[in-house]
Amino acid sequence: MKIKKILVANRGEIALRVLKTAKEMGIKVVTVFAEDDKNLPHALFADESYSLGFGTLQDTYLNKKKLIEVATKAKVDAIHPGYGFLSENAEFSSMVENAGIIFIGPTAESIILMGDKIGSKKALEKLTIPMIPGYHGDNQDPDHLIKEAKKIGFPVLIKASAGGGGKGMRIVHEEGELSEAISGAKSEALKAFSNDNVLIEKYVVNPRHIEVQLMSDTHGNHLHFFERECSIQRRYQKIVEETPAPNLTEDLRLKICETAVQISSGINYRGAGTVEFILAPDGKFYFLEMNTRLQVEHPVTEMVTGHDLVKYQILVAEGEKLPLRQSDIKQNGQAIECRIYAEDPDLNFMPTIGKIDRIGIPTLRDVRLDCGFLDGTEVGVNYDPMLAKLVVWGPTREIAISKSLHSLDEVLFLGVKTNRDYLKRILSHDKFIKGFTHTHFIPDHKEELLPRALSDEDMANFVAALGFSEGRKTQKFSSGEAFLKTPWTELSGFRN
Amino acid sequence: MEKMFILNGQEVKVQDYKATPEMVSFTYKGKNYYYMLVTRNEHEMILDHGGRFRAAVSSSNKEGEFMIMANGREATGALSSRKVKKSGDQGKGLNSPMPGKIFKILKEAGSSVKKGEPIMILEAMKMEHSIKSDKDGVVKKIHYQVGELVQGGVTLLEVE
Repeated sequence: MKIKKILVANRGEIALRVLKTAKEMGIKVVTVFAEDDKNLPHALFADESYSLGFGTLQDTYLNKKKLIEVATKAKVDAIHPGYGFLSENAEFSSMVENAGIIFIGPTAESIILMGDKIGSKKALEKLTIPMIPGYHGDNQDPDHLIKEAKKIGFPVLIKASAGGGGKGMRIVHEEGELSEAISGAKSEALKAFSNDNVLIEKYVVNPRHIEVQLMSDTHGNHLHFFERECSIQRRYQKIVEETPAPNLTEDLRLKICETAVQISSGINYRGAGTVEFILAPDGKFYFLEMNTRLQVEHPVTEMVTGHDLVKYQILVAEGEKLPLRQSDIKQNGQAIECRIYAEDPDLNFMPTIGKIDRIGIPTLRDVRLDCGFLDGTEVGVNYDPMLAKLVVWGPTREIAISKSLHSLDEVLFLGVKTNRDYLKRILSHDKFIKGFTHTHFIPDHKEELLPRALSDEDMANFVAALGFSEGRKTQKFSSGEAFLKTPWTELSGFRN
Repeated sequence: MEKMFILNGQEVKVQDYKATPEMVSFTYKGKNYYYMLVTRNEHEMILDHGGRFRAAVSSSNKEGEFMIMANGREATGALSSRKVKKSGDQGKGLNSPMPGKIFKILKEAGSSVKKGEPIMILEAMKMEHSIKSDKDGVVKKIHYQVGELVQGGVTLLEVE
């Protein structure tokens, strides 16, 4: 069935991202907005947009019933959930399909399967997908646990089965430390969870986070669009992503990508998905999880392969065959994404707020700023602090890095402190330049990522810039609504 | 003329400060600086002090602070005549754990509170965070009103 009208059940940059492709395909776009978002571009630039009212996320962007009401009222053929929010909510995808509307995403069964950590591991073991070696059994006799740990090979990680938050967690490097670590972990687990069962897993030193972009249609075609390297993370939050992954042999790259396709074909997946792997320095890799949606970092893949992933999502949702074969997908050059957050990296990454006077525009070729804000809009306190994604392509990794550094200087968010300078410090770090990335990169290089001290000349430059601005008319910071600059508000003193 | 600025919470004093729309000059730490304005729009400018560089200054927020970018570096700044929180102000009372909107004030100034008792509710990321008293005492001062937006790390109220 040809999709003629789509509702995007999301906000910000990803709502605009979906809108862009839909418009290119001649599809009408309906967006929704919470009242505190009504001045943002996703509320303004659609063919139709509907208010979700005031209130909490549950009342607005997570309000399944209201979203389906809007979809029915606006007579859309399909709903695109974006990422986050309801994108991996099986109940929502079923509700959408029961309302006779196409859900642009996988089946509810796939969402449920991959959302269940234990269930998904069981299903994937049947497909001989490599899992982190471990012991998850009920025999908790210390001698048995020691035997299992030796079988796995050191170092191992012992953690509470009921666990979370690092409680009852121990890294053990050699056999001698084992029995004490097991009893310590057990007593901590008992205190925290009233259950002293522990599990043992292989501990990967300096792991890399490598993920594979997948796309499957409903005609048995399961394709991959190669890998992404997403090891640069702060508190499990990715901040710099790139493709191709540096320092990866062609053999290993293909093996990882083909393993991911084994998963999508093995579970008969539909649409866009991403399989995340942990890659150990010895070249062994293990399944981490599968995300059953479009990822935040999908643009780097689009830039390097030259394919529009949202377009294929829509075609698959229409029941079409993917119009390409695996051999048509090639990696060309290098793309890097930097996530720009409203936060102060030099004040413990505290979120920042304020009115954005001006958003800098990247001027170089093959640079994309996916941004959900406009000049004059306000960054408030209610949503994720990601303001934009800067995605830069270059023919080589070296050029992609230097273009990114230049572009980070350009995309100033005047009025709101962002992590731009921190991103520059990462991208100019010697280890990053050499492609030595792993998931502990940020804590390991904490000292080198501290800000460069301001010189006397820097201070003098600030004084001069302030001096030239003194006495100029300043706009008041409005504490409530965002203030949008338009030709009409600019002409407020004009009478006709 | 001596003039004072606040940059990143620190007082910065300059001497022999002169400013016209076209030039700004001063002495800072014994060194003379002379800047010419090459061109500008509402917020952005190109300055020349021997070499040229980009600079930008935001509109001021209601605390009278500006965000300044100059030659790739960033700072928050204010003219000294404005009342501005200095970095030393933090920690005296109860601070906002993150930026938010004052949702409710549960205790007025003058009320007595017990340690752990909520005094104010801050709304951020669509969730409510209660600001609880860190001691038994009396609410001395509440610096904000319901509905106001506050930055992270600012003193919301004081308990004695």
